[in-house]
Amino acid sequence: MVKVGIIGLGTMGRQHMDAYRQMPDVAVAAVYDHHADRAAAFAQEYGVPIAGDLNALLAACDLIDICTPTYRHAEYALPAIEAGKAVVCEKPLARTLEDCQRIVEAVKTHNTLFMPAHVLRFFPEYRTAHQLIRNGVIGAVAAVRMRRGGDFPRTKSDWYADFEKSGGVILDLIIHDFDWMLWTLGAVERVYAKSLTFRNLQHLDYTLVTLKFKNGAVGHIEGAWCDPGGFKVNFEVCGDAGMLEYDSTRQVALQVAARAEGGAGGVQVPESPAVHNPYYLELRHFVECVQAGQTPEITVDDGYNAVRLALAAIESAHTGRVITL
Amino acid sequence: MTVKVGIMSFAHLHADSYALCLKQHPQAELVGIADHDATRAKAKAHQFETQAFSSYEALLASDVQAVIICSENAKHAQMAQMAAAAGKHILCEKPLMTRLEDGKAMLAAAQGAGVHLFTAFPCRFSPVFQQMRQMVQAGVIGELLALRGTNRGSNPGGWFNDPELAGGGAMMDHTVHVADLIRVLTGQEIVEVYAETGNNMFHGRYDDTAMLTLTLENGVFATLDSSWSRPKTFPTWGDVTLAAVGTRGIIEMDMFAQHLVHYDDRVDRIRQAFWGDNIDYLMIDEFVRVVAGEPPRTLATGEDGYRAAAVAITGYESARFHMPLSILSG
Repeated sequence: MVKVGIIGLGTMGRQHMDAYRQMPDVAVAAVYDHHADRAAAFAQEYGVPIAGDLNALLAACDLIDICTPTYRHAEYALPAIEAGKAVVCEKPLARTLEDCQRIVEAVKTHNTLFMPAHVLRFFPEYRTAHQLIRNGVIGAVAAVRMRRGGDFPRTKSDWYADFEKSGGVILDLIIHDFDWMLWTLGAVERVYAKSLTFRNLQHLDYTLVTLKFKNGAVGHIEGAWCDPGGFKVNFEVCGDAGMLEYDSTRQVALQVAARAEGGAGGVQVPESPAVHNPYYLELRHFVECVQAGQTPEITVDDGYNAVRLALAAIESAHTGRVITL
Repeated sequence: MTVKVGIMSFAHLHADSYALCLKQHPQAELVGIADHDATRAKAKAHQFETQAFSSYEALLASDVQAVIICSENAKHAQMAQMAAAAGKHILCEKPLMTRLEDGKAMLAAAQGAGVHLFTAFPCRFSPVFQQMRQMVQAGVIGELLALRGTNRGSNPGGWFNDPELAGGGAMMDHTVHVADLIRVLTGQEIVEVYAETGNNMFHGRYDDTAMLTLTLENGVFATLDSSWSRPKTFPTWGDVTLAAVGTRGIIEMDMFAQHLVHYDDRVDRIRQAFWGDNIDYLMIDEFVRVVAGEPPRTLATGEDGYRAAAVAITGYESARFHMPLSILSG
């Protein structure tokens, strides 16, 4: 039985809890949140023990799952790594490159298992595209465009609105696409970005990033925290032998439109049902790595490289300069 | 009164569409065509039931009132200057020029001769774009903050792949339409350009992939994908899209979304059957009316064409030096 401890019990903490509950060989042995009321409600809802502090959580668990806001990742990850625990940490790896470096060094020094939770790699549409491209079905990649976004994320503490905590739309949101591109196309030569991040608009952020890859491909990422039309993603990868495209507004398996009680209003919800959701697949992979003592397919270096690229894009947007990596 | 129009060169494939529009127009007469390729001149004259002149000079010596120039990009300047000297009004295929000095010479020639010089930017006439413009200007999405555009296509081949004649590759071919739409939509000039180019699609000595980042006078920023990245099996020639991001929302335009999907077993392809308005016809119609004496309303001037082409020209310099550059104005 793998004993899991979850730190940070907001949206991602719940998502991960739901996944672990489906694993008969995993027990969530402790949960922790520095908001005591939220921890208590979570523990009661799921019937799991609350840890009074980080040390108590580390003592009770083998696998530590960090779901806190980005700026607190290093604060929890470092003691867990130093205690020899396996750690899965939400993306981005950390808010600063210095914190990322500390985590990388700790993982190497203590020789522990560590996985940054770039869950996009376990979304079947993105995973299939990655595999097809790596198998050469579209030939040499020339151009890749990715889009991700919706309305501004709202949480209890509104930490997404604090650039010093979240890094804005570039670090928090399109880190997914940065990681997928690095995973699929390899290293980036240089990056140039425009962004509304530094305009200090209330709950509104938007970016357009251009990338040049070492293999000659040109990339473009759009990140939106300003779209009242709801969350949408798409991508398109063009090669010299073909093209792959995906659009979450078009490839919809179940479109549900239900009238609200009383007959007024109502919402449309697109669904993409699957046996297991991507969070389950991601965490299952890490649990199995922990059981077998194997390095996960997303490494701590991958987490570092994605943050490095995102921070370079932020620097470009901030200074107006092209950043060569 | 009939307006007499000639076509100078069919090197650019859009000449066929313009010829067809002239044939359909009740007030226009396609008096004749000229082409340095005599075989093509003869074939096109036959196809469009008109006369093939033996030379551009012979066409310009006729009683045509106006010409449409559809030569290779690099030859626009010479032909426009010939036409202006002959006192003919001009509609020139885009991009207006491949070098700033050529554009300056064209503008000066038209002004000196007192003839109209227009740039063929039919996308301006799209009712889809016009409605988007009205909505943005009416404040439907609040204050405009950013734009995201594409004008992707497939590689047209031929002289388009000869940088001497085309003035570049995909970026020269496909930047100007959306650059022009951005100017019309915002009423702002593009003041800074950054561009990345690549050639992984066709591995030639021209750019087949191009991604521009544009900054407007008021700080609004935009990206524009002008790549020849549509695969051979793509259902249509390409796209023109533009998204406008504002403080209160987003408007996303897909100019050619008005189509049926046609699964065509005769050619083993999936195609698109467009049912929106013919924007080439709307542009040719206004050109014909203006030659007849009406004031221009939507047509892009030579100056508009110059400013749009300057974006692509600056883009090549930016791509060479890997840095954003102030727009080159000549």
